[in-house]
Amino acid sequence: MLAGAIEVLLVEDNPGDVRLTREALRDSKVRNRITVAHDGEEALQMLRREGAHANVPRPDLILLDLNLPRVNGRELLAEIKKDASLRRIPVVVLTSSRAEEDIARSYELHANAFVTKPVDLDQFLKAVRSIEDFWLTVVKLPPK
Amino acid sequence: MSRSRERLQPPTADTPSLATSLEHFRAVTESSRYAVATADSKGRLLYLNPAAERLLGADRAGTDVSLLVAERHRADFQDALTYHLANASDERGGPLEMSVRRPDGTDFPAELSLAGWQHAGDAYVTLIVRDVAERTRIRRDLERIAAELRRSNAELERFAYIASHDLQEPLRMVSSYCRLLQVRYKGKLDEDADEFLHYAVDGATRMQQLISDLLVYSRVGTHGQPFQSVAVKPVLDRVLANVQTAREESGAQVTHGDLPTVVADPSQLGQLLQNLVSNAIKFRAKEPPRIHVSAERTDGAWTFSVRDNGIGIDPKFNERIFDVFQRLHGAKFPGTGIGLSICKRIVERHGGRMWVDSQPGQGATFRFTLPDLQPGTGGNDA
Repeated sequence: MLAGAIEVLLVEDNPGDVRLTREALRDSKVRNRITVAHDGEEALQMLRREGAHANVPRPDLILLDLNLPRVNGRELLAEIKKDASLRRIPVVVLTSSRAEEDIARSYELHANAFVTKPVDLDQFLKAVRSIEDFWLTVVKLPPK
Repeated sequence: MSRSRERLQPPTADTPSLATSLEHFRAVTESSRYAVATADSKGRLLYLNPAAERLLGADRAGTDVSLLVAERHRADFQDALTYHLANASDERGGPLEMSVRRPDGTDFPAELSLAGWQHAGDAYVTLIVRDVAERTRIRRDLERIAAELRRSNAELERFAYIASHDLQEPLRMVSSYCRLLQVRYKGKLDEDADEFLHYAVDGATRMQQLISDLLVYSRVGTHGQPFQSVAVKPVLDRVLANVQTAREESGAQVTHGDLPTVVADPSQLGQLLQNLVSNAIKFRAKEPPRIHVSAERTDGAWTFSVRDNGIGIDPKFNERIFDVFQRLHGAKFPGTGIGLSICKRIVERHGGRMWVDSQPGQGATFRFTLPDLQPGTGGNDA
């Protein structure tokens, strides 16, 4: 357990993107710990600490991909924002989609931010680092 | 039709008998290639010309005229018959479109023109029956083909959109990890490895550009906005602001004539002008680019011209330059070759045409037409 580390829940089914996000956050100024859920269902179990996930720490920030197997990102987002005990956790949608309907729908479901994954590596790293910079250092997160 | 009706005018008072007038009537109709038949006020068929006998059967005389049409039309036909018997020489409603029965009991689509007339206090109706099976078949075929075309076009556009979107994901992995290798292991591998990685990254980057251009191209059809009234001058001003850097670097001067207000998709109109102005700057000759944008009123449309003093185009490539990913130049003029395809597609979505007038070394003038459109049309429900 990293004392005082920021807990990030990354909901992402593509291991390539998981690794890229880890790479981007590796040299972070803020100590962080990334937990990965590979689909929406697993993410919900982690957030509700069900079964094998009883010891998963409550995240300070959720990075959410929209296209996920089983429970997809939109459904998961709706579940989180419906749940009084979870809804104050900021959710940043991090997706390859740039479709207007996805953007609108995400904000309607109370996403805290919508970021399209840049196709270029350097810009991707930059985007993840600015998410980190903003959410982990600039803003005051809600008390747990 | 109206001419034959004149000939079938009811006999006047100085034509004494029905028999005489029927003789006269026969003379005119015997040779007609249209099926002509006459019925009395009880709906009994009195006379069929040879064409009618061929079409409807030789033994129809004396039978009920309404039996000529298919059962489902009989009530409507009876109504029309009653009306025309009561209203001589009235052209109400034009021809009826009904199924008519052949002698063998099968039906064919027909056009029936009815005309009532009176003689010696008795009412008669003359019918002209035209077999429109062929015309109906052609019309239905055309409607079906048009619908199929619209559907397959929309499907293709959606396919291109989805395919290019889904292709981007794995490609992003390839390019990201090649790039990560390149950045993190630069100088730690040997020179060959650096060169190989360079080509891998370069290829992936170009493919990303192609896919993203293909996405833009397919969005012209699938993500267009409804047409609205838009003044061209402010659109051009915005375009010139967007390409300011390129204008300054090349020393380009862009002028324009009077520009109208047209009905178009404003963002696509901007994209169209921007591609053309950018091209005019990019394909410049030695001297700084001089670009002139103008519009001319032609029949029911505006014809726009974007004229430059650049390297020009050999007329043998006049068609090919509008094809997707067709390029005439190598690395000297980088690009994927989609710009003009997007332009042409935008123009075609607006119902216009696009072409180029040019000679090598003498600049090029790209022209396109924007026909007058109704505001509010042209939106995509796709």
